[in-house]
Amino acid sequence: MKKNKNNQMRRFLYITGIAILIGILVVSFVFIKMYNKPHTDVFKASPEYVLTAGEIISEFENDEQQANEKYLDKILQIEGVVSSISTYNGNSVITLEAPGTIGAVICTMEPSQNKKILGLEKGKEINIRGICTGFLMDVMLVRAVIVD
Amino acid sequence: MTKMKYSILFFWVTLSCVFQTQAQDQYFTRQGYVSFFSHTPVEDIKADNNQVLSILDFETGEIAITMLMKSFTFEKALMQEHFNENYVESDKYPKAFFSGKITNLDAIKNGDVAVAIIHGDLTIKDATHPTVIESRITFEQETIVLRGKFMVTVADYNIRIPAIVRRNIAREVEVSFHFIHEPYQ
Repeated sequence: MKKNKNNQMRRFLYITGIAILIGILVVSFVFIKMYNKPHTDVFKASPEYVLTAGEIISEFENDEQQANEKYLDKILQIEGVVSSISTYNGNSVITLEAPGTIGAVICTMEPSQNKKILGLEKGKEINIRGICTGFLMDVMLVRAVIVD
Repeated sequence: MTKMKYSILFFWVTLSCVFQTQAQDQYFTRQGYVSFFSHTPVEDIKADNNQVLSILDFETGEIAITMLMKSFTFEKALMQEHFNENYVESDKYPKAFFSGKITNLDAIKNGDVAVAIIHGDLTIKDATHPTVIESRITFEQETIVLRGKFMVTVADYNIRIPAIVRRNIAREVEVSFHFIHEPYQ
């Protein structure tokens, strides 16, 4: 009888132990998953707005607040002419110009784009997709990729 | 709030003053680089911003800098989310500003020193604090390059870090900057 009870106790401890272990595993899995949550994949995502550089610049120049409400944190696809390409600290920055304004669209590119950017020339018309972060003198995009 | 409005107003006044003086003394960049770095034993956090606007008047030594908080990119999406939503509240306060003046301009122009001492005001969120920045200043071809780093105390700018991540985020973050100012045409 006593032996039986001992056995039961042992079994109980065993099962609880496994349950706790599984619990810890699940919690840490979820935690790590959340901690390493990936950035929005701009390349795969479809853009919410497709515009030319001139259109988006004039919207921000006319009413920055309204344009912020419409475009901030959204994925935009902008068509424009490359006016400069620069690289600093591994980040490439492409500037798209528009006729008739000193404003531009400044795009900080994803590091994955560096190879594509090597073959790029000033004056070429391209489509860039990126996340809009706002406006200073220029409309800003980050995590941008070149769309063929 | 009013203090912030004043400082932003002051910023734009500085900016327009800078633009009004003689064209040959104005320098600017729209692609300045600012990054910050927080080091704790638990983790290192770094964010870059390659879209900083800086305008320098080399006649008077006045400098005006502004940047979008949302343009800081982090390695981890979660950090970027926390930074924007909880710490700097970038929907409410989208821009940070610095306006200041190089105080040892004559010595720089004479070629005596290569370090600019810049006294100014830094505005993040709704808080403005006087800040002194030492920056290397070099003249490369036609450009004026400012490069350096300084420390910012997080608590000074009403950034509240919840207790649960307090060990992950440094009390003082190191801000680095690199501006290649080109002549303004």
